[in-house]
Amino acid sequence: MNWNWFYRMGSPRWFYESTSRWLPWLAALTFVLLAGGLVWGLAFAPQDAKQGNSFRIIYLHVPASFLALAGYFLMATAGAIGLIWKMKLSYMVMKCAAPLGAVLTFLALFTGAVWGKPTWGSYWVWDARVTSMLILLFLYLGVLALQYAFDSKDVGNKASAILALVGTVNIPIIYKSVDWWFTLHQPATIRFTEAPSMHPDMFQPLLVMILGFYCFYAVALILSVRVEILARERKTSWVRERVKQATQNTLGAGL
Amino acid sequence: MNFQFDNVSHMLNMDGHGAYVWTAVVVTVLLMTWLIINPLLQGRNVFKEIAREVSREQLRQDAVKEGT
Repeated sequence: MNWNWFYRMGSPRWFYESTSRWLPWLAALTFVLLAGGLVWGLAFAPQDAKQGNSFRIIYLHVPASFLALAGYFLMATAGAIGLIWKMKLSYMVMKCAAPLGAVLTFLALFTGAVWGKPTWGSYWVWDARVTSMLILLFLYLGVLALQYAFDSKDVGNKASAILALVGTVNIPIIYKSVDWWFTLHQPATIRFTEAPSMHPDMFQPLLVMILGFYCFYAVALILSVRVEILARERKTSWVRERVKQATQNTLGAGL
Repeated sequence: MNFQFDNVSHMLNMDGHGAYVWTAVVVTVLLMTWLIINPLLQGRNVFKEIAREVSREQLRQDAVKEGT
């Protein structure tokens, strides 16, 4: 089997140059999906019969939670690839995925809290789903902090990769928490194995929002990986060449 | 697919749930914007730093050439 594609994918230069080409298009698509989905969900989806308008928070809460979990998988996988193949780019992805995932997990918890107040009567409950999400937030922060806890960058990368891998145990627990324990949190709206428990008029904007959040995640992650690449590869000739060209262009525009 | 509210103030109020819904929306939009703006600003700073290094080296090389 030809493994060239795999090694090429591990090249920071290849990553930087190929994302330069299609990132603007992905960003535009993300904006259209998120803006469209949000207006659709907030203003045009029908009201929920039991929860009234407070249910509209679902259009932020569910996508943010989805990406908080998917992002953790991505971060742990990147960490594993870094541990096994010692790929620089892979560790960069892991490092950038940690703060991004932490913010999304915070958003899932925050939107859940403001949804909980009108629905459950309380901003916070120590329920299985909510508590396991809080643990996910701490795992993200742990991976983030471990990066900087060692003098050697290499040791920091390895330590956070191992923590990320151990923490994946939490993902199926979060996913299944609403079925395993008697919880206040409502069961999943979307399942892989069954039809969604939602009317299509409510479900379609949610699907658009989830797709939009996936694209947003990709854009935000790629943007910060690119910064990381520039900073770490600053001595290489290809980065210098790029910077030279860019400064000449701005100088030319200024003159 | 119909607009679900009578007017803008009805949409803001959302039958008493407006405060919750709009708080969630505002916080989400702010944080997501920050996730995009922050790497862009950082990237610009790194770019400028490298540009300074490059021009400093260029000056040094020119000085060496003139010296010989």
